[in-house]
Amino acid sequence: MTEPPSPILTLNNVRKKYRGCEALKGISLQLFPGELLGFFGPNGAGKTTMIRCISGLLKPDSGQIRMQVSANSDATKTARLGLVPQNLAVYHDLTVQQNLEVFGRLEGVTGRPLQTRIAEVLDWAALKDRTRSLVKTLSGGMQRRLNIACSVLHRPSVLLLDEPTVGVDPQSRERIYTMLDDLTAQGAAVLLTTHQLDEVETRCHRIMVIDHGTIVADGKLPDLVRQTIGRPHRVFVRFDQPYHQELAAFSFDEHRTSAMCPIDSMQELPQVLAVLKQLDREPSQIDVRSFGLQDVFLALTGRSLRE
Amino acid sequence: MILTILRIMYLRLRNNPLELLLVFVMPVIFFSIFAAIFSNGIATGSDKQLRMAVVCAEQTPVGTELREFLEANSSLQCTSLNDNLSTQRLNDVTVSSLIRDAQNSGRYDLVIKLPCDIPSDTTHAPVQVTLVTDGHNSMAVAMVSSIVKAFFSQKQARAFAAKLLRPQTNENGTVEVAAETSSPGTLAGLEMQKSNDSSFFHAAKTPSDFFSESQIQQLMTTDEYGVIRVGEMAAVVPSRWALQKSVDLTQPQSLNAVHQKVPAPFEIDDDVSLVVENPQAMSQENPRIAMYAAGIAVLFLLFSATGNAAALLEEEESGTLDRILVSKAGLFHIISGKWLGILLLGCVQISVMFLWAEVIFRIQLWQHLDGFAVMTICTAAATSSFAMLLATVCKSRAQLNAASVVIILSMSAVGGSMIPRFVMSDQMQEIGKWTFNAWALDGYQKVFWYQSPVSSLQTEVMVLLGSAVVLGMLTLIFSQRWKHG
Repeated sequence: MTEPPSPILTLNNVRKKYRGCEALKGISLQLFPGELLGFFGPNGAGKTTMIRCISGLLKPDSGQIRMQVSANSDATKTARLGLVPQNLAVYHDLTVQQNLEVFGRLEGVTGRPLQTRIAEVLDWAALKDRTRSLVKTLSGGMQRRLNIACSVLHRPSVLLLDEPTVGVDPQSRERIYTMLDDLTAQGAAVLLTTHQLDEVETRCHRIMVIDHGTIVADGKLPDLVRQTIGRPHRVFVRFDQPYHQELAAFSFDEHRTSAMCPIDSMQELPQVLAVLKQLDREPSQIDVRSFGLQDVFLALTGRSLRE
Repeated sequence: MILTILRIMYLRLRNNPLELLLVFVMPVIFFSIFAAIFSNGIATGSDKQLRMAVVCAEQTPVGTELREFLEANSSLQCTSLNDNLSTQRLNDVTVSSLIRDAQNSGRYDLVIKLPCDIPSDTTHAPVQVTLVTDGHNSMAVAMVSSIVKAFFSQKQARAFAAKLLRPQTNENGTVEVAAETSSPGTLAGLEMQKSNDSSFFHAAKTPSDFFSESQIQQLMTTDEYGVIRVGEMAAVVPSRWALQKSVDLTQPQSLNAVHQKVPAPFEIDDDVSLVVENPQAMSQENPRIAMYAAGIAVLFLLFSATGNAAALLEEEESGTLDRILVSKAGLFHIISGKWLGILLLGCVQISVMFLWAEVIFRIQLWQHLDGFAVMTICTAAATSSFAMLLATVCKSRAQLNAASVVIILSMSAVGGSMIPRFVMSDQMQEIGKWTFNAWALDGYQKVFWYQSPVSSLQTEVMVLLGSAVVLGMLTLIFSQRWKHG
């Protein structure tokens, strides 16, 4: 019987007051090797503060942040950390190759190993053809890929990405997630923050929702749906005019122009459709779909604006 | 639409206090600085004194008198280089050495070298006074020349006046003027003659017999130091009075004869000559250009240094600084690396400027390479620390731009990069010592102008390197905000 993997990164009750408000109110989490953890939350929820605390750029007021030292780590005896900041943290007036060289050297990779690693990373980020191009001449997607590439030259055990796919086209986004999948396949732990619901739903192994500095949900999407909404699917009906008759198992909105019936499985669907057969006028729309992260998110954080 | 565009401009200006500072406050600041420089220095000379030294191979009565005359002049700050020496006659080598040391100290605008054999009566014996300048203050030569000339003019005028005012009665009972009388005839003496020594004169023959009352009043008018002014004396004695041994001034025709006999204007050039020497000019081709090169170089060094230090703020804004801080490079490495880079760039920048000056203006860079290297490294080090401190204190690039423009231009104005410091008032010069520009320029001046050895740069080196260390430490302290938020 194999032992469960031990977490490479552990946060225990981390608190941080930042610019007068409590940005983190006791955050605890564990990140495991090979895991892609999606950190999701509204603007100002504390995502960036948490990443800055983990990377050492901010000192927590209390709590512990612990990174496991891997058996084969170098003499520094610290787990290697990589940070991909939210902005394009590269030198725009240097070429792709020059950026990789300077950031590799800053991570302590030099000489032939650095050249080998740069060649690997260029291939990995699909930037092989633009080695000698100045960064400012690259497309947004290429710049984003270079932004990530500069952080993995030293083969980090933990990679922190703060909204790595902002402003890129779907193709580049897909490529970036493929790159991250490669990293996790090699055993690296990846923690990313994003606002892209579909990315978190489809690409992340685990999802955490943070709001007001507190983690309000943690798990895989079906678990989150079950924890927050209860049933994973729903039947949705919309009317052109307010419908004032009652429908068994359906709940109406305040204008009575739409109604929803949550269901556990497709086996319940005939019964719901039988209810709809009793309608005295045709609805304008009938929709059957599963609950997603947006539903979970809104259920957890509400609909009011945060900023 | 035009109004809307104007409104956008107005709103942006109103919402950006730094830009507002540059637009409205900067001109006021600079006006104040230059007003202070010109009102207390160049324009009025109210508190700006020329600093001059007097050296005399042998202390003579006339030399002492001249020194006292210069000391009494409110526009001069006079120091005797003989004060700490024995009263014995100095040889030429010692005098030259005293003059050279005085010039190299940079404390004097001019050194006056008096001959050791100045006769008491300068009306007939030729006198040569040497004004030794280093050329940096041409106004000093013109001003002191006229003051020295005035001194000897007065001496001559007093001598003539004494002769005229000392009539004697000959055996025929005729009043005569003793032409050979050589008394200096100070004003006090003249008054005494007039009031108390009447027995000296013939009963009916007082000075009023020879001069009108208004002329006497004019003659007797003294300034605040008890000295007759040249202009007034010249009005009374408009021409050289080459008097005969005995002239009967009781006869109108005799007096007229005296006037007609000497029609030449009253001048001293025949007897007192002023020689201006500039030892620096003899051994240097173009020292003034080296000073200008240093002034401009330091000004632009400050701008380029803050421009380069601003990269730190750009890196902060882009997140690159975060990435570097998370890497193996710590904050100390980042600050040190940037500081060193700015220092090296500054050295290259100044070197290029001086190389250009050497090629085009022949400032004799190669002859002063050691002093130049020392001053350049120290100046660049201090400037680098200053720029790094500004970058760590400012929160954004825009803030740094505004602050650096205000501070650098103010420092350059007060420190001598725009206006030579020697034309500023003493107070402004003291204020200037709080700037890098002043110390750097003083150092370059010693190297290129006074041709001083490197050992003479101790003070400048200590101040600049001390500033570099202090500002560097402050930079490290303020940069901690990047380490832990």
